Amino acid sequence: MPGSNYDRDLTVKEGFVLSKFLVKWEMILVYILVFINVILAVFRHDLYFQSGTIQSIINAGLDVSPLVLGMVFILLLGDIDVSVAAQMILGGMVTGLMMDAGIPWIIAVICGILICMVCGAFNGFCVAFLKMPAVITTISTSMLYRGIVEIVLGENSLKNFPKWYNKIGWSNIGPIPLSMILFLIMGLIFCFILHRTTFGRKVYIVGNNPTCATYSGISVTRVKMEVFILMGFMAGIGSIFFIGRMGGGVSSSMGTGYEMTAIACAVLGGVSTNGGKGKMYGPIIATFIMAFLTYTLGLLGVDPNSKKIFTGVILIITILISTVNKQMIKDFKLRTRYHNNKNIEALNDRTAEQIKELKQQLKAGKGDAASVNAKIAALKKECAEKSAQLWEEQKADAQKAKERYAK
Amino acid sequence: MKKVLSSRNTGLILVLVILLILAKILTPGLFSTYMIINTLQNNAIYALLAVGEFVIILTGGIDISIASQLAFVGIITTKLSCDNPGVPGIVFFLLAIVLGALCGALNGFLVGYLHMVPMICTLGTMYIFRGLAFVVSGGEWWFAAKYVQSYRWWAIGKIAGIPMLIWWTVIIMIVIGLFLGYTAPGRRIYAIGTSRESSAVAGIKEPTVTFYAYIICGVLAGLAGMLNTANYAIGYYGMAEGFEMTAIAICVLGGTAITGGKGRMDGVAIGVIIMAVINSFISMIPGMSVWQKALQGAIIIVAVAINYFTERSAAKRALKERGALI
Repeated sequence: MPGSNYDRDLTVKEGFVLSKFLVKWEMILVYILVFINVILAVFRHDLYFQSGTIQSIINAGLDVSPLVLGMVFILLLGDIDVSVAAQMILGGMVTGLMMDAGIPWIIAVICGILICMVCGAFNGFCVAFLKMPAVITTISTSMLYRGIVEIVLGENSLKNFPKWYNKIGWSNIGPIPLSMILFLIMGLIFCFILHRTTFGRKVYIVGNNPTCATYSGISVTRVKMEVFILMGFMAGIGSIFFIGRMGGGVSSSMGTGYEMTAIACAVLGGVSTNGGKGKMYGPIIATFIMAFLTYTLGLLGVDPNSKKIFTGVILIITILISTVNKQMIKDFKLRTRYHNNKNIEALNDRTAEQIKELKQQLKAGKGDAASVNAKIAALKKECAEKSAQLWEEQKADAQKAKERYAK
Repeated sequence: MKKVLSSRNTGLILVLVILLILAKILTPGLFSTYMIINTLQNNAIYALLAVGEFVIILTGGIDISIASQLAFVGIITTKLSCDNPGVPGIVFFLLAIVLGALCGALNGFLVGYLHMVPMICTLGTMYIFRGLAFVVSGGEWWFAAKYVQSYRWWAIGKIAGIPMLIWWTVIIMIVIGLFLGYTAPGRRIYAIGTSRESSAVAGIKEPTVTFYAYIICGVLAGLAGMLNTANYAIGYYGMAEGFEMTAIAICVLGGTAITGGKGRMDGVAIGVIIMAVINSFISMIPGMSVWQKALQGAIIIVAVAINYFTERSAAKRALKERGALI
């Protein structure tokens, strides 16, 4: 209708399909979580149904949770941040030092978080403005931040922290752990930021294609800077969770490896390290999976160091599930069945399509079954003959090439 | 002459000379033959790991599992040699190579043929190897008294007054350097790091090259594991934690581009020496040892920043020259 007030409807309407919903990555994670719970319930039912077990599992696993939330944003950009644990300890140290000096706790805590944000901003400055690779920047800044803690604290540790720190790591409100409530609230806020605001969409587009983002008028440097500062902020929050869980103490060697756990949780949650792919819900469930996994293995009598094997294997398998896709199956078929010959592959693909079409026609009620089946058989035979012929040709070519080189 | 001046290694050597002059003024004891050999011996393990990491970074990947591979292989050779004192050391030396190659093959298979992201894949195998190291050791620690002399000789035995460990490092650096620079398989590693698409068009099988690159890295990590235990005569499952970061740092300090395809072995060698000088120099000044980590981090950041500035200015200059031609 030219000339009239005609608005094109650009929204994509995707109906709710149950079969698709059930095989979503987030749902698979839920199954894994349930599976781990069932194993725990079956093998250690005496402990599992005791009051307080599940609460303590969740409490023990959630000290890394704020880092996971921030890490998702960093990974969505296609960057990586391995300095988060060092930032966390640095922030905790600042809070502890200010508490020792007798400054009111609220200022001390805010200063701790601010220091983490400054650290994040420095990472962001190096990555966004100086265009340094994120891996190497954050490896060296993690040395730097941890080094600063070492210089200031030496072998000492700080003990003086607000009383409510411990409550976050250890107490429950009714039957629900406090840390879980806080984590879920933060998770909701982060879901909102990532999936419902322009900033979240900007993060996705920068991760998918920075050049495209630049041409769309998005300042890539600014988005990256903001995300790294956000990560610093979450590291500051993480220091509260971590110190609370550790019983209120900080020293320079604490929290090593937390950055890897955070990355593992985010990746397990379906966030691609190439950037631009992933959702917020996955990592939230994956954090719980990690918590239950480590605890379950512990209860089943696996010692903490061999638990690492299981963590690694599960990480690799889950990533493999998401990378085994149609393309890989196609490549595999090409290599094994079609003798690396693209002509044979194309022929087979075409025949398969034709057969599919014929079968659909049969379903729709066109033509009788016998003649269609005969057609299909003829097509299959023709395809097999032609493939054999092509394969013979390829062999002959290879033989000729060999003879030519032999001369 | 212009080529020499614009080379990145010139800048690195300049930094090294300044560091050495500073060291000469502040800690004169650093320049005895004994100290130099000692310093090199202590940093040779880093050098071996850095060479392995260098090969991986050239393909455009990264391997953060090398320290765990080191611990895993080191624990196995240590355990076997302590249990069977009569077996000559060369058996364990070869065993370390084989085991390392197997570890590398696992990484290479996952990254090369199954197309996993290197960082995540090696993060997973890092956990696996470290866990296996614990399972194999059963939590046991091995100290100097348990080690056999024929095993330790492969690291601390001396030929022409220089420990075997340094000889191995030098030989491996030269061999791998020549391999990467002057042979067709070596150039293929550079090619897939520079551009996967164009190398695929040129007929290079990227999965296979990646696979063998990870095997090389695994062999070097395994060798480093055996030599590390032989050198320090101590073996436990948690050893060498964090070495992978130092190895990556050395590569980057030596001018290797983390995006792949750029870097030279002589740069890595200079990177190793600079790192060694910083480490030993700082630890010799009283009261400075706590500064080590922070200074290392700061130096790497500055080095990478300078690296990128020079690269970008060179690119700009090239663009200008091209503009002038038109």
